[in-house]
Amino acid sequence: MSYTKGLKCRECKREYSIKPVHVCEFCFGPLEVVYDYDEIRKSLNRSRIEGRPKTMWRYRELLPLDSDPSVGRNVGFTPLIKAERLAEVLGVKELYLKNDAVNHPTLSFKDRVVSVAVSKAKEFGFEVVSCASTGNLANSVAALAAEGGLESFIFVPHDLEQGKILGTLIYGTNLIGITGSYDEVNRLCSEIAENYRWAFVNINIRPFYAEGSKTFGFEIAEQMGWKIPQHVVVPMAGGSLITKIWKGFKELEQIGLLDTVHCKIYGAQASGSNPIVAAFKDGVDWIKPQKPKTIAKSLAIGNPADGFYALKTIRESGGSAEDVSDEEIVEAMKLLARTEGIFTETAGGVTVGVTKKLIDKGIIPRDESILISITGNGLKTQEAVQDKIGKPRIIEAKFSEFEKIMTVSQKRFRDTVLQASV
Amino acid sequence: MNVRVRIPTPLKKLAGEQDILLANGNTVGEVIQWLTETYPGLKERLQDEQGEVRRFINIYVNDEDIRFIKNLETPIQEGDQISIIPAIAGGASIRRRVTLTFPPERIQEPVIYHIGHRFKIVTNIRSANVTENVGWVTLEIDGEEEEYLKALHYLKEIGVKVEPVEKDVIV
Repeated sequence: MSYTKGLKCRECKREYSIKPVHVCEFCFGPLEVVYDYDEIRKSLNRSRIEGRPKTMWRYRELLPLDSDPSVGRNVGFTPLIKAERLAEVLGVKELYLKNDAVNHPTLSFKDRVVSVAVSKAKEFGFEVVSCASTGNLANSVAALAAEGGLESFIFVPHDLEQGKILGTLIYGTNLIGITGSYDEVNRLCSEIAENYRWAFVNINIRPFYAEGSKTFGFEIAEQMGWKIPQHVVVPMAGGSLITKIWKGFKELEQIGLLDTVHCKIYGAQASGSNPIVAAFKDGVDWIKPQKPKTIAKSLAIGNPADGFYALKTIRESGGSAEDVSDEEIVEAMKLLARTEGIFTETAGGVTVGVTKKLIDKGIIPRDESILISITGNGLKTQEAVQDKIGKPRIIEAKFSEFEKIMTVSQKRFRDTVLQASV
Repeated sequence: MNVRVRIPTPLKKLAGEQDILLANGNTVGEVIQWLTETYPGLKERLQDEQGEVRRFINIYVNDEDIRFIKNLETPIQEGDQISIIPAIAGGASIRRRVTLTFPPERIQEPVIYHIGHRFKIVTNIRSANVTENVGWVTLEIDGEEEEYLKALHYLKEIGVKVEPVEKDVIV
């Protein structure tokens, strides 16, 4: 059932067989999965996909597993929402949200990549899965390893949000907090990966893992009625998701499920961790590593592994890149919650904030279709908004007490309602 | 100008099995040219068909990525160290790692404590074996190049053998 042909170096194009490797031994470029698109084109069509269960596995021909997934069979097919109230506030005509804040099982888009990675790790015969994470990946690896009956070791910066720590430990994993930044955690993990025969989802399993992100793009296309929005805004941490959404669109075009793709892709980062945006604005194609400092911890990667390809994607599609401050992130989280009833984590604040900025600057036109990627859930990053959304008012259980705290305008609202009901 | 060049393990075979080479040149570009002329096998591994340094090869002069200095035009000073480090997509930092072997008469002394206090460096012991007659420690050393070199000089002066540990850290 697999349509994969092998692995190929993205730089020098040397080919490798399917195995748990991620770096070209010749030029040190990253490896990527290659598919037999002609065969896929023959066997896959829109109605065949539409007849399948509503999960990301409805696109399984375009994913690198040899057999059915062994974990995460219910991941994906998250809501695509037409956001009319937010559109009104932002002053645009047509706005959509792809909401992975409610992805199954751990409430972020990472479940897409991890279900592929852990299933693939099982196919390879690994007994331990591992990762370096800023939090969401940790949650997902711990949960899906538990589902697959595998042991897991998870490495995170020690100062992560409580929700992400707790949402990892509950699954009975080995969680290791490192006193350092994500980039240092990642470096340590590369060393560990050389010395232990573990499946590091974002190191030696990375070529397979990264493919899972394409399903975010496939779903956008299908849920829009087999077309794609003219402008898509994507958060960037390591830069993998943005390149894979684009790859997903291009694959659908290649196998004949989409007409020519006309879509501009925009990369969003926090100002305190914006190495990719900075390179875009400087007009260069190499990334200057940074020491991140932002409340958007899930995006706080100063040395993004796929930064070069993220830049390439943005430029190839004709898009742009922008960043927003911590204050703008919080404002955007509140705006999304108060207009659409969606509580996203800081990364979602980044995409909403950046979209607003790009619209205000005239870079994204107001009369064309726009999609904002929401990749994680706000309950995981409560610290970011904790002191910025007010407090409940505590009163005694007396009607008079309640009346005291009602403002004049609220009372007037009550009177109108009462009159209307009479 | 003579300059020390650190060769990553995967390329060692092509450089006459050497971890560290003494190379020649006044700029990074000249050093690379010297390297690829002296060890032709390195050429296609370090440079693409257009002669550009491959994207996932990072070159550092001391601790600085040359892309943030003057790229191949970066001038070389006497005593500089060039490091060639493969970076899977995006870069890697250099961690200086050395193995110290203590002569029997120094085993009792708190040598690592001393270098941490005399020089502006931070040491981190990664592995060690110390008995009555023999002692070695593998250290990671962070700090300015100048302070690091001073510490090495001091160690050699008191009879401690210092050897670099080549360990590629691929990010």
